[in-house]
Amino acid sequence: MAEQQRQILIVGGGTAGWMCAAACAAKLDPRHHLVRLIESDEIGTVGVGEATLPQMKDFNDFLGLDEVEFMKATQATFKLGIEFVDWGRVGDRYIHPFGTFGRPIGGADFFAYWSRGQAEGVAGSLFDYCFPIVAAQQNRFMRPNGDPADVRNAFAYAYHLDATLYARFLRHWSEARGIERVEGRIVDVTRSSTDGSIASVTLASGEVLSADLFVDCSGFRSLLLGQTLGVPLEDWSHWLPCDRAVAVPSERAAGPLLPYTRATRRSAGWQWRIGLQHRTGNGYVYASSHISDDEAAAALVGSLDGEPLAYPRVLRFTAGKRRAAWAGNVVGIGLAGGFLEPLESTSIYLVQMAVMHMLTLLPDGPHIDPALVAEFNRVMDVEYDRIRDFLILHYLANQPDSAMWQRVVDTPPPDSLADKIARFRHRGHVTDYRDGLFGPPSWQAVFVGQGIMPGGHDRLADAMPADRLRERLDGVAAAIRAGVASAPSHADFVLADCPAPPL
Amino acid sequence: MSDAVDHVVVIGAGVAPAMAALAIARAYSGNGVSVTWLVTAEEKPADHALAASPDIRAFHRLLGISERELVAHAAATLRLGEQFVGWNGDGTAFLHAYGDAGTPFASLPFVQHWTRARAGGLRVPLEEFCLAAIAARQGRVRLTRGEPAVDHGYHLDARGYAALLRRHCETMGVRIIETDDVSAEIDGRHVTGMVTDRGERIAVDLVVDTDGAVIDLVDPDGAVAPPRLCDRAIHASGPPLSPLPLYARTLAHPCGYAVLTPLRSRTDVMFAYDRRHMTDAEARDALPAAAGIRIDRIDAPHAPSRRVRHRPWVGNCVAIGAAAGLPAPIDAAPLLGLQLAVAQLVLTWPIARDQSVEAGIYNDEIGGQRARIDDFRAVHARLNTRPEPFWSAAREQPVSAPLQAKIDLFAARGKFAHGNYEVHVEDSWALCMAGHGLVPRSSDPQVLRVAEQALMVEFQRQLRAVATAVQSMDTHEAALTAIAARTE
Repeated sequence: MAEQQRQILIVGGGTAGWMCAAACAAKLDPRHHLVRLIESDEIGTVGVGEATLPQMKDFNDFLGLDEVEFMKATQATFKLGIEFVDWGRVGDRYIHPFGTFGRPIGGADFFAYWSRGQAEGVAGSLFDYCFPIVAAQQNRFMRPNGDPADVRNAFAYAYHLDATLYARFLRHWSEARGIERVEGRIVDVTRSSTDGSIASVTLASGEVLSADLFVDCSGFRSLLLGQTLGVPLEDWSHWLPCDRAVAVPSERAAGPLLPYTRATRRSAGWQWRIGLQHRTGNGYVYASSHISDDEAAAALVGSLDGEPLAYPRVLRFTAGKRRAAWAGNVVGIGLAGGFLEPLESTSIYLVQMAVMHMLTLLPDGPHIDPALVAEFNRVMDVEYDRIRDFLILHYLANQPDSAMWQRVVDTPPPDSLADKIARFRHRGHVTDYRDGLFGPPSWQAVFVGQGIMPGGHDRLADAMPADRLRERLDGVAAAIRAGVASAPSHADFVLADCPAPPL
Repeated sequence: MSDAVDHVVVIGAGVAPAMAALAIARAYSGNGVSVTWLVTAEEKPADHALAASPDIRAFHRLLGISERELVAHAAATLRLGEQFVGWNGDGTAFLHAYGDAGTPFASLPFVQHWTRARAGGLRVPLEEFCLAAIAARQGRVRLTRGEPAVDHGYHLDARGYAALLRRHCETMGVRIIETDDVSAEIDGRHVTGMVTDRGERIAVDLVVDTDGAVIDLVDPDGAVAPPRLCDRAIHASGPPLSPLPLYARTLAHPCGYAVLTPLRSRTDVMFAYDRRHMTDAEARDALPAAAGIRIDRIDAPHAPSRRVRHRPWVGNCVAIGAAAGLPAPIDAAPLLGLQLAVAQLVLTWPIARDQSVEAGIYNDEIGGQRARIDDFRAVHARLNTRPEPFWSAAREQPVSAPLQAKIDLFAARGKFAHGNYEVHVEDSWALCMAGHGLVPRSSDPQVLRVAEQALMVEFQRQLRAVATAVQSMDTHEAALTAIAARTE
């Protein structure tokens, strides 16, 4: 085919930029696509997206990365879910797992049997019927064992990793596969006089770089999409009021290596704890209208379980998404396209989805077919909207114990979420939608974990005799306990499987 | 629970009420739910033939209906898809078969490689890579599970199927009452009782209305009548085809279309047309030629109802089947819609007297699925390329935004704009859109990593694999004989 080489310019390194570059290196034919990435050593990356979702393994597999090599290079640990502490009511804790509840035990969904069992006093806590939760509570880990009939297969896992190291790892990987990295700081952007699209960017060195398609990975600045093209941010801060985060790494604590992320609710937001091999990542996400930067930093540092390794660093953001993530010849990926706080570890997932959709929808000539752009924006809107509703649920379902939390629970949710809550309260119903994140087990975990209980259950679950129900529920819990007992500790597993050298 | 929903009354005649009553009885009669079916007078003309997509097989297992019974009592033939003949104005045909449109290659959908090869001069249609389509065209089918699998549905004689479902209802203890007339006792939007023509009062917690009389009282403003392609239909019948085809045929006519459904006992014909383009008398005269077979019996023309309910569940009354609005009888839509509605009702069985939450869930799901079923019908109308006024009017009918997005994206990139509530798989859409002549303008750039020579080798391998697999399959007659000889 005698077609011309298409030029793609990725603006910004960091996790988003290098994930995009790596995918281009893995999947595009260099005879048809010239891919370059501009980054400046002067501009720091945010690098707080250290907790991930199980889909990240799909992305690494898509690239063809070796899992052990990747984990060693990024000081990574395994993750079975997120522990939410003090959500719902102070003193409560629950784990949102990467796995399902129970096993099929009859014609109805397991959750309906559990719900009936609760009403009849024969069921334990929902969280006793989930392998990754019980394993996480005991700080144990194993990979799914591949046997569909075994409880030790009913889960997936994600990673905790150092995002800066991940970007570095992908940079070397991408450069080795022909991606050209251009060092420099962008000082000017030139637009086409005919259609307003981006024609080129100019670096401080005076070098001018043009391209057919620009991928904006410039982070919160949203240099091309937001600043140059003026695509506005759809502001969701009335539902998600946190607008800052203060982050600090600390020494790895002496205790066990936790195979889960911890999110602790605090008076003006919440705090994350992410255990890596070499250190622990910590941060306090807060509403600046309810706490000062200094107070937040002091609260964070005062609660660490290891010595701080740096000065606390403050990040500013607004919850929301760009009205269009792809406009003209600019695709915004990562924070340049939207921001949702890392309460459910969705940042890298959103980058991954944007990169994979963009690859498959890349224009094949100078004319950009609007149907390709429309599809990209449609699927990314769905991703953002689904996550938004799920995050708001975490915020809403709390006993307010401070001014910020009072304001949060007083704000009416989006209609799409209000229906979900009403349906769950009535009969434990969760819609199993096909598009976007979070299947029924995730919703069930957060509803039940934060005290929204089902008022009834699917009647299909009534067919089982009561003594048989008790027996089946007990059997599932026992199988999970036995399965967990066969797994090594997370720390031992990491040491044997993917120990990272000291930095 | 004092306010449990235990007394259900199903109203209507034919397949829809029988399927609903049987499904409810199978799921809940062990839990104290009693099902009464009030069989009202059958509307004329009745159901004739029904096409069932492969999805019905799992549903039949829940209902306890065996394949052998379908062959014995509903004149069943096996169905691998539906052929559209003459929709492109040039006499060509394509098959919407229930199977993969080619095998994915290099971790990318086959359609992407095919699109690239078409741009490079390949003339082979997408259908040639679809095992189910080739098997259907050659009259071959595989009953046993195994690789490569071909999934089948059925063509059913509606009267025989309804009678079979009714016998199963009797076995399951459904109380069946024939009544010429029923009246409903209604409190606001809640039906509290039904009274038969003999004056018997039946207490009601939930009404399943397939007839439409009760939902009209509960929700008098809930029906709309969107424009349809055809406002008239004539049913007819001819001798069975030999050999028996494994697919229905939808044949375009200058002023409408004819659907030929192969049954073991006869061939069912439905001719749909529009009076703006053709009179009833002209339609009667045109039918035999449009169908292309000998016609033994021809019914009077009638006007199918256009009424549709976007909120079929209101108060404690659920409209299903004709009462909710039947989609056009192509691509097995009426039975698929019915099956989805009945299955959803069983899943969403109300847990208390106030059924507003269940109604909301059900109406979202069934409304969403119905919209996707209607889109799949509309894609044929939109993409036809015939010159006649009837067909240009069909092309210009407005389509939903999701359908427009699907057409635009397929035309641009051969990709499927996947939404919620999809009822047809991606490859069904691809086979239909490509069958209508829509060849995507560009492909996923990831295909370029495959060398052209390697791609040609892979195409040849796939075509050979399809041919070999089809040769190892059974004939339709042999498969039906094997089913009839089963002893379950």
